[in-house]
Amino acid sequence: MICDQCKERQASVLVKQHIQGQMIERHLCHVCAAKNTGFELLSEQDPLSINQLLAHWFPGGNASVNRVKQEETVCPSCSLTFSRFLKLGKFGCATCYEAFAPQLGEVMGRLHNGKTRHEGKVPASFGQTLAIRRQVEELRKQMKHSIEQEEFEEAAKLRDEVKALTLQLEGGASHDD
Amino acid sequence: MTIDRFLQHRASSWMTNEGEHADIAMSTRIRLARNLDDFRFPYVFSADEALKIDKEVSAALLDYGEELGHRFAHIDIQELTHLQKEILVEKHLISPYLAQSEHPGSVLLSEDEDLSIMINEEDHLRIQSLQPGFQLQEAYERANQLDSMLEKNLNYAFHEEYGYLTSCPTNTGTGMRASVMLHLPALTMSHQINRIIPAISRLGMAVRGIYGEGSEALGNVYQISNQLTLGKSESDILEDLQSMTEQIIEQEQKMREAIRSRSPISLEDRIYRSLGTLMYARLLTTEEAATCLSDVRLGIDLQLIDDVDMSILNELMIFMQPAFLQQFTGEQLQPKERDHARAELFRKRLRQEKSINHTEGEDHV
Repeated sequence: MICDQCKERQASVLVKQHIQGQMIERHLCHVCAAKNTGFELLSEQDPLSINQLLAHWFPGGNASVNRVKQEETVCPSCSLTFSRFLKLGKFGCATCYEAFAPQLGEVMGRLHNGKTRHEGKVPASFGQTLAIRRQVEELRKQMKHSIEQEEFEEAAKLRDEVKALTLQLEGGASHDD
Repeated sequence: MTIDRFLQHRASSWMTNEGEHADIAMSTRIRLARNLDDFRFPYVFSADEALKIDKEVSAALLDYGEELGHRFAHIDIQELTHLQKEILVEKHLISPYLAQSEHPGSVLLSEDEDLSIMINEEDHLRIQSLQPGFQLQEAYERANQLDSMLEKNLNYAFHEEYGYLTSCPTNTGTGMRASVMLHLPALTMSHQINRIIPAISRLGMAVRGIYGEGSEALGNVYQISNQLTLGKSESDILEDLQSMTEQIIEQEQKMREAIRSRSPISLEDRIYRSLGTLMYARLLTTEEAATCLSDVRLGIDLQLIDDVDMSILNELMIFMQPAFLQQFTGEQLQPKERDHARAELFRKRLRQEKSINHTEGEDHV
C-alpha cells in the first residue's frame, strides 16, 4: 500500500484519528508519520482531504466493494460515476451536480454545516431568468388557490400572466419596449 | 509585458507594508472559483477543451480588461522553464498545482501583480485578488469587479440551488476563499495558538501555518480563511472572517504587551540577536532565517528597531526561497550553497537598507 500523504513511499503505519466525531484511518509511510504527530494538519492544502472525508461518510460508494452492483449513477455528460466522485472528491462537469442530485444534499450538508442552498452572488444574466422563474412559481401557486376557491376569472388572469412570462423565458430576452 | 517582468527581484504591490493592522496582518487574499458551462472540469477535460477555455477566457479579459483600468499579461505555463514556474509559485502568483499541471493552462497577471486569473487550475478560472495588510472588503471589491466584467462575456456554470459550480464540493456556492496572513509570534511563544486553532475550526474557519509543515508555522506566519462556501453570502463570510481576525489580532497585541512587561530584557536580547544573525551570518537555513525574520519584525512593531524597513522583511520572506536564490546567484545550488547564498542576500539587503536610512539622516530618538 502507498502512503496516503506523500503518495510515494510504502505505507508502514496506520494512523487512526477522531475528527469531528468521525474515526479516520490513514496509511502513512514512516517519514510522513513522523511529521504528523499530535493534532496538527496533515498537509498544507487541506486539514483532511476531501476524498478521505467522502470515502468515510459514504463507505457504500467504494468502487471495489460495489463492483458487482449494476445500479451505479453515471453522469450522462462526462460519464463520471458517483463512486468515482466519492473517491476523487471532485466533480467531472457541471452536469454531475444534476446527475448526483439525490445523494448530493447529504454530501453538501456534511461539508457546509448543514447548508445545501446557495446564498449570495448570482450572475446578472442568470439573475433575470431566475427572478422570472420564481415569479412563475408564485403565480402558479396563486392560480391553484384561485381554482380551489372557484374564482375562475382571477385564475384565467393569472394563467395569462404565467403564459406571458413563460414565453419570455423561452424567447430568452424580454421584448419590453 | 513579458514574463521577465514578473520574474524580477522585485516586490509585488501586496508585499508593501500598508493597509490596516499592517504590523500583524501581512496580506489579504480573495479567491473566486468559476467554471464555464460548456466544458468539462479540469479533472477530466481533454487538452483540446483546455486550449479552448484558455482562449475564451483570455479573449474575454484582454478585450475588456481595459475597462477596469488594468493591463494583463498572458503567461502560458507550458512555455515556462521549471525555474520560472518555481519563482511564480514562490511569489504566490500561481499555485503549485498549476505549476505541476500537465494540461494547457496559463495565468493572466495584472501589472502590479495584485490581480490574477489562473486558467485551468482545479477550476477553469481562479480569480485572485491580493492586498497588503488587512483589507478584506477592498480585496473582495476588486475580485468581484473583475468577476462581474467576465460574466458578461463568459457563460458561467451556475446552478439555482448550488450557486457557482466548482470541481470540488468544498468550494461550491460562492466559490470564494477569503484569507488573511497573520504574523503571530506572541501567540506562538505562549502556545496560545494551540488553543485558538481548534476553536476556530469549529466556526467554519481554519487557521494554519504557511510556509511550513507540521505544527510549527515557519516564521510564525499563519493564514486564517473561511471553510464554508455554501449557504452563506459573500458579505456574511467576509464579516465573520473580519471579526474573527480582529479578535486574533487583539489577542496577539495583548500577549505582546504581556511578554514585554514580564521579561523585557529577554525579549530585547532575542530580537537583537536575530537582527545580528541576519546581518552577519554566513550560513542561513530557511528555518533560521524565518525565525530571525519573525523576531526582527516583532522588534520593529515594538519600536525596538527603527532603522529597518518592514517591507524589506516581507520581500526577504519571498526572496529567500530556493528558486529565487537560484536566480539571484544564477546557478544551480546544493542545499549548503543555498544557505550561503541566502546569508549573502540578507547581508546585502539589510546593509543597503541601513545605509540608505542613515544617509537620509532620519531622526533617532
